[in-house]
Amino acid sequence: MTASARSRPRFAGALLLGVPALALLLFFVHPLATVLWRSVTDADGALTLANFMRLSDDPGLPRAAWHSVAIGLATTACTVPIGLVVAMALHRSRLRGKRLIRGVLVLPMLAPSLVLGLGLVCLLGHNGLVHRLTGLPTDIYGFWGLLLANTMYGLPQATIIVSAALARTPARHYDAATSMGATDWRQFVDVTLPRLRFALLAAAFLVFTETLTDFGSAVVVGGGYRVLAMEIYSEVVGQLDFAMGATLGVLLLAPALLSVWLGRMAKRRQDSGDASPGRPLVPAHDLRRDTLLGAVTWIALLPVIAVVATVAYVSLVKLWPYDRALTLANYMAGMPDGYGPVATSLGVSLLAACVGTPMVFALAAGLRRAPVAVARPVQFLASLPAAVPGMVLGLGYVLTFNHGPLSPWLYGSALLVAACSLYHYHAQSFLTMQTGMRQAPEALEDAVLVFGGETRHVLRDAILPFAAPAAVSTFFYLFMRSLVTLSGVIFLVTPELGLASVTVMRLDENGFLAQAAAYAMCVVLAGGLALGAMRLLLHLIKDRRHVA
Amino acid sequence: MHLRIDDIAKSWGGHTVLDHVSFNAGENEFVCLLGPSGCGKTTLLRLVAGLTAPDAGRIVLGGRDITEVPARERRMGLVFQAYSLFPDMTAAANVGYPMRLRRDPPAKIAARSSELLERVGLGGLGARFPDELSGGQQQRVALARALATEPAMLLLDEPLSALDPAIRGQLRTEIRSLQRALGIPTIMVTHDQEEALAMADTIVCMNHGRIEQTGSPRDLYERPRTRFVAEFIGRANLFPTSFVRDALPGFLERRPPGTDATYELCLRPEDVAIAADARGDGVVEDTTFLGNLARVTLAWRGRRVVVEVSGRDALTRGQTVSVDALRGAWVCA
Repeated sequence: MTASARSRPRFAGALLLGVPALALLLFFVHPLATVLWRSVTDADGALTLANFMRLSDDPGLPRAAWHSVAIGLATTACTVPIGLVVAMALHRSRLRGKRLIRGVLVLPMLAPSLVLGLGLVCLLGHNGLVHRLTGLPTDIYGFWGLLLANTMYGLPQATIIVSAALARTPARHYDAATSMGATDWRQFVDVTLPRLRFALLAAAFLVFTETLTDFGSAVVVGGGYRVLAMEIYSEVVGQLDFAMGATLGVLLLAPALLSVWLGRMAKRRQDSGDASPGRPLVPAHDLRRDTLLGAVTWIALLPVIAVVATVAYVSLVKLWPYDRALTLANYMAGMPDGYGPVATSLGVSLLAACVGTPMVFALAAGLRRAPVAVARPVQFLASLPAAVPGMVLGLGYVLTFNHGPLSPWLYGSALLVAACSLYHYHAQSFLTMQTGMRQAPEALEDAVLVFGGETRHVLRDAILPFAAPAAVSTFFYLFMRSLVTLSGVIFLVTPELGLASVTVMRLDENGFLAQAAAYAMCVVLAGGLALGAMRLLLHLIKDRRHVA
Repeated sequence: MHLRIDDIAKSWGGHTVLDHVSFNAGENEFVCLLGPSGCGKTTLLRLVAGLTAPDAGRIVLGGRDITEVPARERRMGLVFQAYSLFPDMTAAANVGYPMRLRRDPPAKIAARSSELLERVGLGGLGARFPDELSGGQQQRVALARALATEPAMLLLDEPLSALDPAIRGQLRTEIRSLQRALGIPTIMVTHDQEEALAMADTIVCMNHGRIEQTGSPRDLYERPRTRFVAEFIGRANLFPTSFVRDALPGFLERRPPGTDATYELCLRPEDVAIAADARGDGVVEDTTFLGNLARVTLAWRGRRVVVEVSGRDALTRGQTVSVDALRGAWVCA
């Protein structure tokens, strides 16, 4: 009797870890392995390096690789310093309107990345608003347009990372520096910057990876400046050359993996810093500093506002760019598929969030007591998706699930699209959940077990009260990311299963900019509502709960 | 109930945490596991609770081998150092938790919860949440919760370490009298020798995964058997045999047989008598006034000796004193 009684909680614990780990293998490792396998085999399945040899046959491919790296480096070089300034403005100034700055920063995250490109084209394209109004010859397509779009897209993320590090720097370091007579500039150089080193590195790696693997901006404003993501798309969708697509995918995967790995190393070093932030810093009055920070911040944010405003405006125009009479027609009857794709997108995102949150919760909870030999590889796999471009994962899904034993159930289903979104954004959701769960003291788990509780009681009474805010954040993170993702799902849509982000892209390709803008605004609106709901929910939880 | 720990061994990743440990805890007894951090005392407690499984050995409770019995069927009441209350349950709900897991009727749970809270001096505070209680009050709730299901044993894992000194002393007395009143066998883990001396019937003094000595507080203080126990509990002046032969030959006759290096003489600070004496061979190096006591550091025959005298005895630095040893114990070096 004792043996079976002892094994019951272990069995539940194994189930907790086993189900999400199995799903991770099936829906992440398996497709990824398929892409890798496909890149080194020929049509008969024999091992070969011929695919990689073919890369140099087309002079366009090495050039696209170079373009990807160039735009990645340029974007990183622009975004990180601006991100630093904006974060400083938020945390080290007495600037008014910080709420507004935060609000503007949220905008790029609410929309698919191609919406920023769409706005840029409407504003500064051949037939853009600026050209129409002033007659100046404008041409945003190519390197500069991509740089601008990617910088706008990366800026909020870079700012968030740097802000977190700034918020962690305790005020006592500044007090000490002041008491020793250090000027503000010296304090910035000697106290602030050293503590930001790893945050800046992490931000740089993140922006570089995002830009390198971005598809949305490239397809809209890239024009003749072809990047790798575009080439993969052409190979797969245009020429149905899956082997070549997979090979290019592997090519894209390598630098992304390297960058994420370096970023992880940087983050690990930084985590050994101050554990307790102590009293928060209140910046002193300094008009010159605030003016400077404010000016740079608003100059950097102006394009974001202009671009989003342009999209909003274009969505209300009768026939862009020829007849700019205002109308709601694009929202009423103008959408070719009605609100279908928006509804599908919402449904898929809801599915990803509803399935994903419990999965990630179970995985993080299961890992708490798992032996190191199990925990380490699972931890690695769960955070690996951060390094895998959505396009590579999506290609893996096509190669894996269009044929094979699971395809009758999965091919063309909303579940598959939801799974792709979930595992594309798995790393961030998992790490959020794990961090939240770390607040649950182990003593509480022990208490439940000693007083006669089972695994489910441990989850409900010892872990959930602490992990609830993380669970809410994870839910909405998955929902909002799934709503806007394009690169992951671009290969998975079928005529019956249209998604909003893909529809925006198709409409843009065909020149229906006003309708594309209307769809985009629907997504932005839905994302904004979700964000509001999340804030409200977190606030309510915080009010109700007694977790210290 | 009688608890027998029989030859328990446990290692983690090649590191030995418990090296074949045995001891007994009698009916109604209050046992303290005392030792520095990393000595294995908490692991031993977790083994008794069933939260960790031993590699070897047996745990026998009231004649029944419970080594393989899972934690939730052992009926142990456990109190942790801190942070073990459910943050989103009231004090009463926390106390009632083990009974709810057992599916006791709500009316009974409510009655017993308030009775237990009353018992630990928190009557009327049942509706408060843990973050509305002080550290001492939280530990009282934890204690009430541990007693809720009439456990076979009470296990306390450094329950007072996170508290302020004043509250610590008060709660010490209360836990002890509650334990006596209920007649419940109790094991408490602590690294605080003063706490162990004040509370325990029996102290199990541990070091490096082994038991150094087991005995009553008085036993361990007056008759330490090893150098570790002598130094860990109270203060000790330790003299090698060669020095004793020279300076305190009277102690040699009670010395157990063995080479010079095997035993040392332990003199407690209050076992050394000193008196101002211009021709004495001790010189006062330093004095620390502690109120009722004064701690005096002497240089005596090339050694440093710590002595405690009444606070009223005024001795000054540089003064010469005569030195006499009243009592001493031989310990394994």
